[in-house]
Amino acid sequence: MSDLINAFFNGEIFKDSLWLLVKTLPTVFEVLVLGLVFSYLWGLILALMRLSRFRVLRYLTGAYIDFFRGLPLLLLFIFIYYGLPLAGLTLNALTSGVLGLTLCYGAYSAEIFRAGIQAIPRGQTEAARSLGMTSGQAMRYVILPQAVKLVIPPLTNEFIAMIKDTSLMSVIAVPELLFRAKEKMGVVANPTPLTVAALIYVVFTIPLIRLAARLESKRRKRRPPTKPAAAEISPEAEQDLLNTDIAGQLP
Amino acid sequence: MIPMIELIDVHKSFGHLEVLRGVSLRVTKGEVVVVIGPSGSGKSTMLRCINGLEPIQRGKVVIEGEDLHGPGTDPNKIRQKIGMVFQQFNLFPHKNALQNIMLAPMKVQKKSTREAEAIARDLLDRVGLADKAHAYPDELSGGQQQRVAIARALAMKPDMMLFDEVTSALDPELVAEVLAVMQQLAEGGMTMVVVTHEMGFAREVGSRLVFMDEGTVIEEGDPREMIANPKEPRTQKFLSMVL
Ligand SMILES: Nc1ncnc2c1ncn2[C@@H]1O[C@H](COP(=O)(O)OP(=O)(O)OP(=O)(O)O)[C@@H](O)[C@H]1O
Ligand SMILES: [Mg+2]
Repeated sequence: MSDLINAFFNGEIFKDSLWLLVKTLPTVFEVLVLGLVFSYLWGLILALMRLSRFRVLRYLTGAYIDFFRGLPLLLLFIFIYYGLPLAGLTLNALTSGVLGLTLCYGAYSAEIFRAGIQAIPRGQTEAARSLGMTSGQAMRYVILPQAVKLVIPPLTNEFIAMIKDTSLMSVIAVPELLFRAKEKMGVVANPTPLTVAALIYVVFTIPLIRLAARLESKRRKRRPPTKPAAAEISPEAEQDLLNTDIAGQLP
Repeated sequence: MIPMIELIDVHKSFGHLEVLRGVSLRVTKGEVVVVIGPSGSGKSTMLRCINGLEPIQRGKVVIEGEDLHGPGTDPNKIRQKIGMVFQQFNLFPHKNALQNIMLAPMKVQKKSTREAEAIARDLLDRVGLADKAHAYPDELSGGQQQRVAIARALAMKPDMMLFDEVTSALDPELVAEVLAVMQQLAEGGMTMVVVTHEMGFAREVGSRLVFMDEGTVIEEGDPREMIANPKEPRTQKFLSMVL
């Protein structure tokens, strides 16, 4: 037993690795913030194209989304970082990481945004259009503000998955948590650095997991006190939203 | 005088289901046309075709002399002249009463916040809800929501208003307050097309009654006379059921 503790919680190595790994956090945060902003923006654009009036655009976007939802992110990272240079396009590790996250998580968020937009009752669009708004204005001022509220819980879950997936960037030499932990483990021939990395991951993910659960239960409880009109979100739309959520968690 | 609304032989299908089979209707300025008919006869569809929310397969929709589907016609421009009120209110739940009314004047007509707010407050006062300016839709009763919806449509200063069974989703005790607002509007000279089951309203306020069945206009005429002496057998049958 004490051997085991010594192996995974070696005090001296623990202290060393903690400092070493905390120093990677600025890089991790940078990748995450860029990944978050770009993938949500790209996802929103994809969702709007997916729902566009133009059939060709709808199909192309659908194909893109399916493709990237079906692709292992690890393969994508390797393709961008090691594959593209062979075709003459060299990106540094960090850029490769952000690009991979954006391409892949853009597809997940697109599905979430699409479900959120479609969950808003048709009557909302009709009311907006009957007031003379263009379809773009109706989307911007009436549909999206309501849809965004609906998609915050699933997008939070998706962000949790994204945090965990930054570890995949260790294979493309992004100096993030797992990359440094493995390095250190090699040097000290002891797995304690991994323990430290694990703790750092969960310190960030557990509060978010809690937050997502709270947001989700709040949304379920909140029901208008007046009698339910057709303006209610239908059970099918709600299920659709949940499905995209699960898809987002299992990349 | 050019009519406010003119439908000429309008045909509308959803897939294979032909919902409007050649509807023709003329509405002149200041008229209150009340439309009745059995469920599924195409009343809502007709209203939605009038402001172009539904495309049509054949025929013409002419609003104040302008062909809604004509080349060079901007349907968004035409919709600004046509207010519409729905059975399910369709207020914007993320905005309070005032903001619901101000949104379109600001974003569509580019009015300033102050100007839009003045219009909105004046309209809320007219529908008797001056004290509910900051209430959100889910804090209002059905009747109050519907009155806000009417105010929201009026804020665009439309030349005509379409009402689609606006009292059908209301508890009986709330119907009168909404009908009162509509009556006041009619007395002010607003051109209105009103789909309703409220025969009292048709009789008191309507200037013309239109009976629709299976996607066509079966009979139209003076409301009192038609209610008293319907000519077509189908009208007789329908009226005997609703009166
Ligand atoms: N978007 C749609 N897609 C397919 N069918 C539709 C659609 N909207 C209406 N319909 C069909 O068109 C027919 C006429 O519908 P409409 O709503 O115009 O009738 P209505 O006279 O308003 O009836 P109600 O009194 O029940 O409101 C119905 O059979 C309806 O099922
Ligand atoms: Mg109807």
